[in-house]
Amino acid sequence: MKTIVYALAFCLFIQSCDNFPKDPEHTLEKVTNGTLIVGYSENPPWVVKTSQAPTGIEAELVKEFANDLGATVQWKNGNEQTLVESLEKQEIHLLIAGLTKDTPWAKKAGISRPYVEHQKKKHVMAVQLGENAFLVHLEKFLHEKKPDIQTRLPNE
Amino acid sequence: MKKVQNFEYPEELVPAFEKAKKLEWITIAYLISTMVVIMLTMGNSQAMKTAWFEDLISFTPSISFLIASKIFTKPTNTEFPYGYHRVVSIAYLCSALALFFVGSFLLIDSVSKLIKMEHPTIGTVVVFGRPVWLGYLMILALLWSTFPAIILGKKKLPLAKKLHEKNLYTDAQMNKADWMTAAAAIFGIIGIGLGWWWADSVAAAVISLDIIHDGYTNLKQAVLDLMNQAPKTVTDHKPDPLIDRVKEVLEKHASVKEHIIRLREEGHVYFGEGFIVPVSEADLTHEIELITRKITQLDWRIQEFIITPVKKLPEE
Repeated sequence: MKTIVYALAFCLFIQSCDNFPKDPEHTLEKVTNGTLIVGYSENPPWVVKTSQAPTGIEAELVKEFANDLGATVQWKNGNEQTLVESLEKQEIHLLIAGLTKDTPWAKKAGISRPYVEHQKKKHVMAVQLGENAFLVHLEKFLHEKKPDIQTRLPNE
Repeated sequence: MKKVQNFEYPEELVPAFEKAKKLEWITIAYLISTMVVIMLTMGNSQAMKTAWFEDLISFTPSISFLIASKIFTKPTNTEFPYGYHRVVSIAYLCSALALFFVGSFLLIDSVSKLIKMEHPTIGTVVVFGRPVWLGYLMILALLWSTFPAIILGKKKLPLAKKLHEKNLYTDAQMNKADWMTAAAAIFGIIGIGLGWWWADSVAAAVISLDIIHDGYTNLKQAVLDLMNQAPKTVTDHKPDPLIDRVKEVLEKHASVKEHIIRLREEGHVYFGEGFIVPVSEADLTHEIELITRKITQLDWRIQEFIITPVKKLPEE
């Protein structure tokens, strides 16, 4: 009986906080209506480097995501190695590089749920480890965009 | 070669033994189900991987119990004149070692995560077309690792005592370890949800100390049993009161002037010797038979008790 009471109390408690899960380092709070710092490494057609802001499927998605959050994007170019290190040092919030689910960086970065499958490869983005609120927000955004993303894929 | 009798278990305990075997089969089926459920919700979570690994180790007591129960009932033969009872002590050693290992593994794992300041990452999963935080599903999966384990453990305890089954007792403690680690993991996941990355590891570390304690006391007892320590009780490892009852029989027997005994544990049963200085040597064989019968009738656990008449007691 006691356990049932506790379980109900727990459910109410969970329901009462709509910002669940939370970020240990408050990424979501910081970037909302603020600056989203994105690291990118060229990997066409996902990320394409230009003289200005990058383009490509993932870069465009990030721009839309930032727009959703009311954030301005600050881009940072680099190779995967240095960008993963930047994630670890909390210098960037998000990393796009056409990463796939089998990325070797899974221990150093928070890997998102695959948002699209293309040519048998499951594509992911990376956030700082443990920033669960930000990750959940990103994954929900990508989930909503899913039908849209399918149409943007290059023909196989 | 003289073979000892074989009476494990006496008729009145057979139903309890059958029930214990059934419980162990249920435990195995249940553990498989928890492993499947945890695997489905595991994701990238290290805590869930630990819980899964722990479930794998928790098979040891149940499996060793079932294997031992196939062996110890075998009749004695010329190769094994003392019977196969000691296989139970070996099974007990395996289980105790597994329990100790689970505790140590959990402690090392959680402390190293705290030192490395690992922030557990838990994302979403799509359920019925909607993204849901995987943490909620993990909590549901872990709940399945708690309540049934509590019930199984509680059912095993009285049987273990009745059957003098230390291995079964260790298995009940393994069930306790299972539900406690699952409960710790639930608190850990709630903690992660609240933004406390360390909650998971701290909860696991605290629980691991309790499991290590249980594992260590049983491991020690299992080794001591194999080294022929005087019999100890199943639950609290105290000297078995049966030893005093054997002494009492000799004490009260009029034809015994002085006596000294020793007993050792072989799985469920005891073997022992008694040296007695008789009051007179008249009709000694009859007296010895009488005493032996009295002692072996004390309890089913006394498998064989040999009386040796001496002129003077051996030095203690």
